[in-house]
Amino acid sequence: MRRVAMVGAGMTQFGELFHLGMKDMLPMAVSEAAASVDKGFDRADVQAAWFGELVTTDGFATGILADTCGLLDIPVSRLENACATGNDAVRHGTMAIASGMYDVVLVVGADKVRETSSRTTFWDWMSMTRDAAWDFPLGLVAPANFALHAARYLYESPHATREHLAMVAVKNHHHGVTNPKAQMRFEITVQQVLDAPMVVDPFGLYDCTPQSDGAAAVILVAEELADRYTDHPVWVRGTGLGLDRVMHQHKRDMTTFPPTVKAAKQAYAMAGVGPADIDVAEVHDCFTGVELIDYEDLGFCEKWGAAGLIESGATYVGGRIPVNPSGGLKAKGHPPGATGVAQCVELFEQLRGESTNQVDGARLGLAHNIGGPTAVSAITILGADKP
Amino acid sequence: MTTIAAIGTYLPVWGSQLSRTIGPDEDAVTLAVAAGRAAMVARPDVSVDAVVVVSRHLPLIEGGNSAPVLAGLGLHEGTRTREVVGGAAAMLDEITAATPGTLVIGTDTSAAAGASAVLCDTGGTAVTGTGRVTRSLPVRTRDQHGAVTDYADPRLLRERGVVESLARLGTPTAAVVAGLSGRDAAALCAAPPAALPTLGASATGFAIAALAASEAGGTLVAVDQATVAIAELASGPIAVVRDEAAPQPTPASSFTEGSSVSISLPAYERAFDAKVRLEAARCASCGTLSLPPRLRCIECGHEGASERVALPRVGEVYSLATVRVPVPGLVTPYTIIIAELGDTGVRTIVKLTGAPAGSVAIGDRGTLVLRLVAVRQGVPDYGYGFLPDSHEVAA
Repeated sequence: MRRVAMVGAGMTQFGELFHLGMKDMLPMAVSEAAASVDKGFDRADVQAAWFGELVTTDGFATGILADTCGLLDIPVSRLENACATGNDAVRHGTMAIASGMYDVVLVVGADKVRETSSRTTFWDWMSMTRDAAWDFPLGLVAPANFALHAARYLYESPHATREHLAMVAVKNHHHGVTNPKAQMRFEITVQQVLDAPMVVDPFGLYDCTPQSDGAAAVILVAEELADRYTDHPVWVRGTGLGLDRVMHQHKRDMTTFPPTVKAAKQAYAMAGVGPADIDVAEVHDCFTGVELIDYEDLGFCEKWGAAGLIESGATYVGGRIPVNPSGGLKAKGHPPGATGVAQCVELFEQLRGESTNQVDGARLGLAHNIGGPTAVSAITILGADKP
Repeated sequence: MTTIAAIGTYLPVWGSQLSRTIGPDEDAVTLAVAAGRAAMVARPDVSVDAVVVVSRHLPLIEGGNSAPVLAGLGLHEGTRTREVVGGAAAMLDEITAATPGTLVIGTDTSAAAGASAVLCDTGGTAVTGTGRVTRSLPVRTRDQHGAVTDYADPRLLRERGVVESLARLGTPTAAVVAGLSGRDAAALCAAPPAALPTLGASATGFAIAALAASEAGGTLVAVDQATVAIAELASGPIAVVRDEAAPQPTPASSFTEGSSVSISLPAYERAFDAKVRLEAARCASCGTLSLPPRLRCIECGHEGASERVALPRVGEVYSLATVRVPVPGLVTPYTIIIAELGDTGVRTIVKLTGAPAGSVAIGDRGTLVLRLVAVRQGVPDYGYGFLPDSHEVAA
């Protein structure tokens, strides 16, 4: 299997981009990725592209990417894997090069959540993740989807409280302040989180990710070609993808996300590393409680150790295991198809020492998504050092 | 002559001592099933081979009400059914004409909501129709589009409607009156009659249940505007089970306008039996129960034949989420519950019913009851709700 290098990465601003369509965001992200390539990048070099997108908001997805980005003469495939779409798209791009089939691959992720009314978003996106007869009519909206896990987690955990959930929001907002691409660049306090209007118990407004538009892109090349583009490539060290029972009523232990555990096991094994080796992580924090469960599922702490970990400050930049230096989904924003790719954009910058919220000496980073009805997770491990 | 073995009653939990209102997850069908189940609990030895539903509030005028009634009652799909549009007098007619093994259910969603079910069988207490007058004095009208007009003249209705019709039947003295409010009913009785919680079809079942409490029998008058039916109830026992929880004030809630919750009718049809009967598939190979039923066993992977088995209707909250943010097309707040059913290990995901949103906790116990999960593009979508245990059925 060939080694795979990431030589370029870029993204649009995340936010309510009412003034931009999919046809604007895609070329913006691709051009920024191309511009980030140290020795220059001719997009005629791209041999294949993967496009991660959950919901088609402006017409035929792959055609739009090819058409708007000047890629009409290469194969483009669309990939949809719920909120794990972004990191799964990176995984597909990696496989395409590792297999020897292509030498230069473009991976793009994008979504426009705010293309429809914020009121109807629940229904617009729910049909993707619910059984049409059994679960859909209940109104199991996205926050409820994760609240069912968080409620059980808080019930069973001997340590975790709503305050610990709030601490995740406070940390990620703090991180987001330095990120020019973030949707929410302001500090909040634990008290503000606790006092905010309740969305779905136990999540208040500040426990929830905003609704976001955005696009992100990375350029992957075969090991042999990396020198042509940069002297400082980032290496794809490991990827993983895990699944679980789709219906909540079939998940026996809702204090954990088995897809994350499975994806992490694959990615750590492929990279030949363990959780203690990770210097920086971008994890899925669509709702605050999810990040706490992620800590345990990814092995950053022992079971029920998440409350202590966030409380200790270890997951702040400067701590033992900084998590979501970009602000995470919580502050940076969450256009689902783009989210995982944008996590890799942040790690690309971290591992090259270029992030606006730099983790000193970061050599190994992990990006993680959990999604669908908490039934799919995708993980990418990137490294500064050639494996 | 019909003989009555049992009566079941149901009142929605919402409202006051005087008048109950349905919750957003109830309709004439769910009320009918609750009352019917109460009657069948009262006399589980009686086998039901026909169901008659009398109401002016059936949700599907083009048809389709009887299937969820049978499924909710756990009766075979081959059971004879009939839907009758009518009020208290029509309900009395159906009871006095019923054959043994017939469950006659009256169900009303307004103005006062409730349902009663009369289980007819051989060897019960006799009820005999003794007179009927059908006349027209439509002081209140509701057309096929639901538009209501009220002539608003209660004295006219009393004098030229009820009193005149009863005069044509020899002005009998009633022991109890179904279909009239308290004062008008009392005027027709020698002694103060029992107060009844409803005024429509279900009132007749409540009236018979009230008479049965004394085991003395007597004359029953059922009124539907100017149409009147009378019957004699013999003295004797009738088993009565009342599913009538103490009333609670309707919690504050709001409905958010928006597009109707969409539906796939093929998916509805495939799920209907298991969903409305609350049945799992039992794997033919390893015996594991799957809800929803599925082709491939969730435990051992066996594919193919499985049998349907009824699940226990008692459960415990495994986890829950209370949605407080507005959701278009739904009434909020609402609580979604994952409930573990009995000792089967099977979990189901349902909404809380009969209690304010957010009023239950993990570990609480309750029962599963048929409810209207949603109305989707005009289609009532039935499933189950979790009724916490504070709600008790009094025998």
